[in-house]
Amino acid sequence: MAEPNLIETQNLTKQYGKIRCVTTLHMKVPREAVYGFLGPNGAGKSTTLKMILGLVKPTEGSITLFGTRVNGKNRIRLLADTGSLIESPSYYGHLTGEENLHILQTLKGCPKKDIDEVLKIVRLYDARQKKVSHYSLGMKQRLGLAGALLGFPRLLILDEPTNGLDPAGIQEMRELICTLPSSYGITVVVSSHLLSEIDQMADHVGIIRKGELVYQDTLESLHAKASQQIALRTDNPATTLLLLRQNGIEAQKESDYFLIPMADDNEIARLCRHLIEQGISLYRIEKREKSLEDIFLALTGKESSL
Amino acid sequence: MKTLQLEFYKIKRRKVWLSMFGLLSVQLLWGVWALRAPKDWELKSGWLSLLYFLSLMDGIMMPAIISVLASRLADIEHKGNTYKQLETFRSPGSLYHAKAACGCIIIAVMFAVQFAFFIFLGYRLGYVGNPDVKYYLLSYMLKLASTISLFFLQLALSMLFANQMVPLVAGLGGSMVALLLMFVTTYSFLPWGGNLSAALVMSEWNPDTRIITYAYRAFSPPELAAVVCIFIWLILFYFAGRILFAHREV
Repeated sequence: MAEPNLIETQNLTKQYGKIRCVTTLHMKVPREAVYGFLGPNGAGKSTTLKMILGLVKPTEGSITLFGTRVNGKNRIRLLADTGSLIESPSYYGHLTGEENLHILQTLKGCPKKDIDEVLKIVRLYDARQKKVSHYSLGMKQRLGLAGALLGFPRLLILDEPTNGLDPAGIQEMRELICTLPSSYGITVVVSSHLLSEIDQMADHVGIIRKGELVYQDTLESLHAKASQQIALRTDNPATTLLLLRQNGIEAQKESDYFLIPMADDNEIARLCRHLIEQGISLYRIEKREKSLEDIFLALTGKESSL
Repeated sequence: MKTLQLEFYKIKRRKVWLSMFGLLSVQLLWGVWALRAPKDWELKSGWLSLLYFLSLMDGIMMPAIISVLASRLADIEHKGNTYKQLETFRSPGSLYHAKAACGCIIIAVMFAVQFAFFIFLGYRLGYVGNPDVKYYLLSYMLKLASTISLFFLQLALSMLFANQMVPLVAGLGGSMVALLLMFVTTYSFLPWGGNLSAALVMSEWNPDTRIITYAYRAFSPPELAAVVCIFIWLILFYFAGRILFAHREV
């Protein structure tokens, strides 16, 4: 039976002294999904991912990986089928890219041929004999991804993988991440503080705010929350409000405008006609959209960087 | 075993061996200078005086040399932020163990080269007779234990502190402590006094004849306790370092 979720956390909590970095987190990452883990800087994304990888010990709660609850004894065995890139890439600057991957390949126990394959995937094959200290930041990031891809694990955990990449590199990284589930059957957890980035990569999303998971569902559902409204501006706001209420329309005042729920074209035309017939001059009629950013800000507070 | 092999692979191009033999060559040059042109009475007790000289030299220099070795082995991990990746494949304890084993092998080779060189030098200088194999082997083992105990202390510091100035200063401080101990005592329970406590030969200076007499040491109970203490430090530093390393969070 296929596991329903590749990662599940139950009441996952991390506390440093009196400060709770992660609070009772219930994270569910479905199989072969690209799970976008979104949140402002300092929300607890890296701490959560480190707890999943066993690099940070949870204060409370548990983690289930591939359907098995993680403990000190099975951690390394379970993590053998994962790849990770946490915060910044890990590398030995005095060794070449190929030598760096040889170390990981030996530790992972995967076939040697994987080294060439992952180097080709991240387009570092031609630079494989170069010392990593001579690599650009973007190349180091790609080498980090190559290391994570070695052995083509079932689960890939990437913490802010586009950090330090130029726009072309970001685009390339996104495209690569999006293809991983379909091409290699890899489930990807990718964290970011950028909504636009997650919007372009993920099909599932978890939003974390001050250590609490405030939203978790498909990206489609998040998009569905983005509501549309009609904004009206007239010469006589008081009468307009009265007429709207008489017609059973809920209206909200926002500066010089009234915001009313979205309606079909005929309905809008009928309303406009009615207002004009009542002697109201209609100055503006606009469609207003509550963007994904608005929803994200509403969920995370305004301290997030978009 | 794989992890240990990788430790040697990782230090490729880091010139760890070169830096160790560079520091060792300072000892060798010191030896060549200090033991040059021996007198007749010095030739007779040459092999004994050599053991005494080695203990003196190692006691002063090894804490500093070993701090460099531990730092060279550990800082590659700090520089590349590699622990967070390595610890997803291996337990922190096994990573620590591999690093410790790698350092021990390098130290053992260093001492083997040092002993081989000085024995060769002894023959070249014309020391009478042959070195006492039993005492030379025992001296090698005790030096190894004493130096490895210091190495475990330095390795723990180097692996726990990203800033390598901390362990390097501790190593230099250790050399200073060892030097001071030599002026005041023939044994010490401090970790930096290990080479002093493990010295198998003692000397006596006769101001009238201006001749130094060397003799194998008859260990008193406190002196024996100081030798046992070397092994206690060794075990203590290894496990303390390993436990601290395993319990920290990346």
